[in-house]
Amino acid sequence: MGPFETSESCQEWKEEYELPFDVIPDEDGTIFKKLSNGWVPYTLLVGSDGKVVLWESEFEEEGFAAVVEKLFQEPTDAQAEPEAAVRAVPQRAGRGLGANIVILGGGAGGLVAAHHLRRKLSGRDRIILIDRSPNHLFQSSLLWHAVGQRRADQIQRPLSDLTRKGVEFINEEVVEIDAASRQVRTKSQAIDFDFLIVSLGAQLRPDEVEGFDEMALNLYDLEGTAKINAALDSFSGGTVGVLVTDMPFKCPAAPYEAALLVESFLRKKGVRDRSEIHIYTPEHQPMPVTGTAMGEAITKVLHKRNIQYHPLFTFEKMDPSERTIIKSGGEPQKVDLLLAIPPHRAPEVVRSSGLIGSSGWMHTDPHTMATEHEGVYAIGDVNSIRLANGKNLPMAGVFAHYEAGVVAERILAEIEGKPATATFNGKGYCWLELGDGKAGIASGNFYAEPEPAVRLYPPMHPWHWGKVLFEKWWLRHWF
Amino acid sequence: MKVIDEGNKGVAEGTLVPLDELGLPPSTTGGLLIVFWKGQ
Ligand SMILES: Cc1cc2nc3c(=O)[nH]c(=O)nc-3n(C[C@H](O)[C@H](O)[C@H](O)COP(=O)(O)OP(=O)(O)OC[C@H]3O[C@@H](n4cnc5c(N)ncnc54)[C@H](O)[C@@H]3O)c2cc1C
Repeated sequence: MGPFETSESCQEWKEEYELPFDVIPDEDGTIFKKLSNGWVPYTLLVGSDGKVVLWESEFEEEGFAAVVEKLFQEPTDAQAEPEAAVRAVPQRAGRGLGANIVILGGGAGGLVAAHHLRRKLSGRDRIILIDRSPNHLFQSSLLWHAVGQRRADQIQRPLSDLTRKGVEFINEEVVEIDAASRQVRTKSQAIDFDFLIVSLGAQLRPDEVEGFDEMALNLYDLEGTAKINAALDSFSGGTVGVLVTDMPFKCPAAPYEAALLVESFLRKKGVRDRSEIHIYTPEHQPMPVTGTAMGEAITKVLHKRNIQYHPLFTFEKMDPSERTIIKSGGEPQKVDLLLAIPPHRAPEVVRSSGLIGSSGWMHTDPHTMATEHEGVYAIGDVNSIRLANGKNLPMAGVFAHYEAGVVAERILAEIEGKPATATFNGKGYCWLELGDGKAGIASGNFYAEPEPAVRLYPPMHPWHWGKVLFEKWWLRHWF
Repeated sequence: MKVIDEGNKGVAEGTLVPLDELGLPPSTTGGLLIVFWKGQ
């Protein structure tokens, strides 16, 4: 269906892609308005009874195929009864042997969950954290690393330090999650679990963008931010572009913060008047999920700092030989120094283990983070939670942190045979680092109806110091 | 992915889609997959 398209453009499109089915125009967008959340692509599955079975922004082939397959296997009337709210105490724990709690990922969510559980559980319960990286990285500080305000060693901590706190750490890649037989496999071992917390984050996929390695510097990993810092140090003027290649991406504020920090960096270096800074993003406004007021406030700040903003930039490709980026149907844009956010996908192991839903991410109960598999929870960036306004809860460390606390409490209650009452309420906050020692802060309830209720507190020095203190606290408290 | 009409909220699962009323083909073959897509 082509919203705001004509019969001719739909026909052309059908021919161009040799589609074996009809493409119907929705010239005035009536059908789109009635059925969609306003984003494209938008996919809707209608059952034979004419009722909506599911919808998603995006089209994730694997996720959809899995859902459709399941529908055929289990006709709706034969589906199992929903699980009881309180499950039985796991057998191992019931036998007095203690429970095996396995946490996948030692990022924001996994780290907090391990800590909470270790503090409250007895020594006979094992807490095993698996991460392929030897270090925990405090990702928000990558932006400071990019502009030379942090060294790499200042924003990482060895995960092996957790062993001092009684958490077992396995520094290996997880290659399979078998939710049914309650086992996780790494390259060298199989580990049984009574409870599993999946906090594997989002996998960055620069390899999905042709020419990325030749032309772009990855704003979202340590190697990339080190290169950005070196490139900025030797930058003597030209065009800097901050590009969001695809949605969703973690930390909706990050591209804006990056541009503002770079602006401040170039000004202090004395090359600002010889430079242009551009932000290219498929979003229609900054931080769309937080509402129009927030978007306007950020746009104003960008304008004041002479940063060119290109919303609705649906990135299509980059051409390293010409140093250009191109949006679909648009003119090439020349960029001398390109800082890019690569596409994000659910981690390969989650996909290959059949744990993704139609969104392409793990689906959970929005309040308990429980998945459809008994004893398996998914927290942080790896899950996809739909909000009342039809958009998704942003991927942010603050949510991974709070969700981890909720899941830890619920597991604790289950082990103790008590009703699990802890729930995630959708509250969160986010700093917006502006450079020059100033930051703004947005805080609110993302589960509010009909829209998230988020308030932006104006830029001030104390918010910046709040962010610095939080970083210091984080890296000391959990290690 | 891009936004073309921010005011929309999507439809809840279980909502009856008035296919006739919207001029959409009836789902006679067990179901209907509708993908909204925009060329540019
Ligand atoms: C530049 C930047 C700035 C940000 N700023 C903020 C901010 O200001 N505020 C905020 O709230 N959020 C911010 N975020 C987002 C925040 O860092 C993430 O949302 C958060 O880290 C998500 O936590 P997580 O536990 O879900 O995943 P992660 O923290 O990404 O952790 C996932 C872990 O899983 C491991 N892993 C993945 N696959 C495997 C595998 N197969 N086997 C073994 N281990 C594996 C990884 O090594 C990693 O350690 C920012 C992110 C970036 C990149």
